[in-house]
Amino acid sequence: MFPKRFVLKRLLLLVPVLIGVATLVFSILHLSPGDPALTIAGERASQEFVERIRADLGLNDPIWVQYIDFLGNVAQFDFGESYVINRNTSVREVLADTLPVTLELALYGQLFGILFGIPLGVLSAVKQDTITDHATRVGALTGISVPIFWSGPLLILLFAQVLGILPTSGRISSTYNVAAIRVTGMVTIDTLIAGDWEMFRSAVRHMLLPSLVIGVYSMALISRMMRSSMLEVVRQDYMRTARAKGQGAKITVLKHGFRNALIPVVTIIGIQFGGLLGGAVLTETVFAIGGIGTLLVEAIEVGDYPIVQGTVLTFAFLFTLVNLVVDVTYSYLDPRIQQ
Amino acid sequence: MSTETLTDGEAETASRGLVDRVRASPFLSQLLSNRLALAGLAIILAMIVIAVYARLTLDLEVISRSQLGTNPNRAAPSLEYPFGTDGQARALLPRVAYGAWYAMLFGTVTVGASTVLGVGLGIVAAYYGDITDNVIMRTMDVLLAFPSLLLALALVSIFPDELGLWRAVAALTLVYTPRFARVVRGAALTVLENEYIDATVALGATDPRVLVRHVLPNCLAPITVQSTLNFGLAIIDLAALSFLGFGASAGTPSWGLMLSNGVSQGLLTGVWWWSFFPGLFLALTVLGFNLLGDGMRDALDPRMREAVD
Repeated sequence: MFPKRFVLKRLLLLVPVLIGVATLVFSILHLSPGDPALTIAGERASQEFVERIRADLGLNDPIWVQYIDFLGNVAQFDFGESYVINRNTSVREVLADTLPVTLELALYGQLFGILFGIPLGVLSAVKQDTITDHATRVGALTGISVPIFWSGPLLILLFAQVLGILPTSGRISSTYNVAAIRVTGMVTIDTLIAGDWEMFRSAVRHMLLPSLVIGVYSMALISRMMRSSMLEVVRQDYMRTARAKGQGAKITVLKHGFRNALIPVVTIIGIQFGGLLGGAVLTETVFAIGGIGTLLVEAIEVGDYPIVQGTVLTFAFLFTLVNLVVDVTYSYLDPRIQQ
Repeated sequence: MSTETLTDGEAETASRGLVDRVRASPFLSQLLSNRLALAGLAIILAMIVIAVYARLTLDLEVISRSQLGTNPNRAAPSLEYPFGTDGQARALLPRVAYGAWYAMLFGTVTVGASTVLGVGLGIVAAYYGDITDNVIMRTMDVLLAFPSLLLALALVSIFPDELGLWRAVAALTLVYTPRFARVVRGAALTVLENEYIDATVALGATDPRVLVRHVLPNCLAPITVQSTLNFGLAIIDLAALSFLGFGASAGTPSWGLMLSNGVSQGLLTGVWWWSFFPGLFLALTVLGFNLLGDGMRDALDPRMREAVD
């Protein structure tokens, strides 16, 4: 049964958090040094021009009027126009261009983490306290200890420079025009839709290293959670019952253990999605991928405040949404949570 | 017992007392039997020694200054320059060693400040409950709604550039505080259910006394684990902010900045050592804290103690 009431309750609880999130972003931008009007007008603009921009932006209004306006705009996903990076373009449009890039990266990273993390965690638990277990655990801890901005460049050096088998940066070879076939904004999917195998191959080759460096982190956390969850489940009474009634050890572990052990892993997948988004900022910088992460870094550097607030709020909304989905999935898998 | 007039017998009793205490504490004995945790501790101690040694023997001004014309530029690792030299002909070994001091110093301040803030907020929220609890914890929820590195990036922009790494420290302190507040609130709620708390209150103890003398000491274990795990994260996040250009100011021998320069100016022209060694030390240090923190968490979790049949 779908937990309707639970979902409704969780959605209502989100409202104050999201208002808080917007308030925090509003405060951060008002505390930031620099005059937005001057940033837009440029250093050499006349005083009147700067004043006119200031009035247009509503910067002369009392702070609470600006705050209410801001909340109203944010509720409609309206973050204003970019000051510097993409002049006279709405932040929403800029985000629509860059968000799919980051999502694609995060999704492949997540996929990598799940595909390798879950089997490794099960292996580690089944072989508890053996060499395999120790190696997996140390491997996982190493995975979360190595910074993306070190492993990324080293992998580029190895695979792109020394071996020359993978591209160094970007999302697809520059000879292809991705904009022409844009549907979702995710190159691996767009090239598939267009049915161009050469382009698809190029996109996948570009995606391999970034997904690997960002995915290792997820893999480490997922395998660790899977291991401890598995170890807890195998101690349960129903596992003993299953074995007592004559079921083979392998079937018991897979049929009864694995499915129950997956439940807490779902939570960790959601929690570390935030880490994945942070990791995307670093990965995009290292591999020169123009996503929302590189956009944010550039916007902070040049003082493009609407872009900063748009990206930060979008990231926070995404993160909150993913956590909501995780909570709902969790309550669906384990109905005890709903009480 | 005064230490100066310790007889052999007393010394033996004292040391046996310590061993007994370690044995009696399931947490410590579990932790000390965990080889990985001990390896982590060894790495951390080694880094502390390097950090202190670098701080005491190296002149920051000398290792930050350009050595173009004096040293060979971008020299590969050799006997004379074990880690090679960078794009300003500075020897990398002393700079990487000094980086350990930066990592430990700024990591300690970040984790220390967020621990103090988080513990204070968490304990107060748990003890007073009601509105206090709601106001504090909902604020923490808002901070936790952001992916941590992104919130840190947004917060960094508030502080002026001149603060260098300190603005990264300030931003990360705010980002980490809610994690401590949550853990401590949970632990404190459990402690507060104990009868000795009611007894202390009945005896007329003041609120601060109950919190500091009775609740806090019983929450120390989860606080320590959380601090250790966050220490690794803090060091990596500080380096990440420097890497993105929002941390250490130019010339500073911080690992993140050296890595950033090494990657952007040296890596693709074959000068791998410029970014390799700072990154290696960074990864090793973080691994040390993660190994130790992970071992501590297992030692605290009673479910991990019993063996599976």
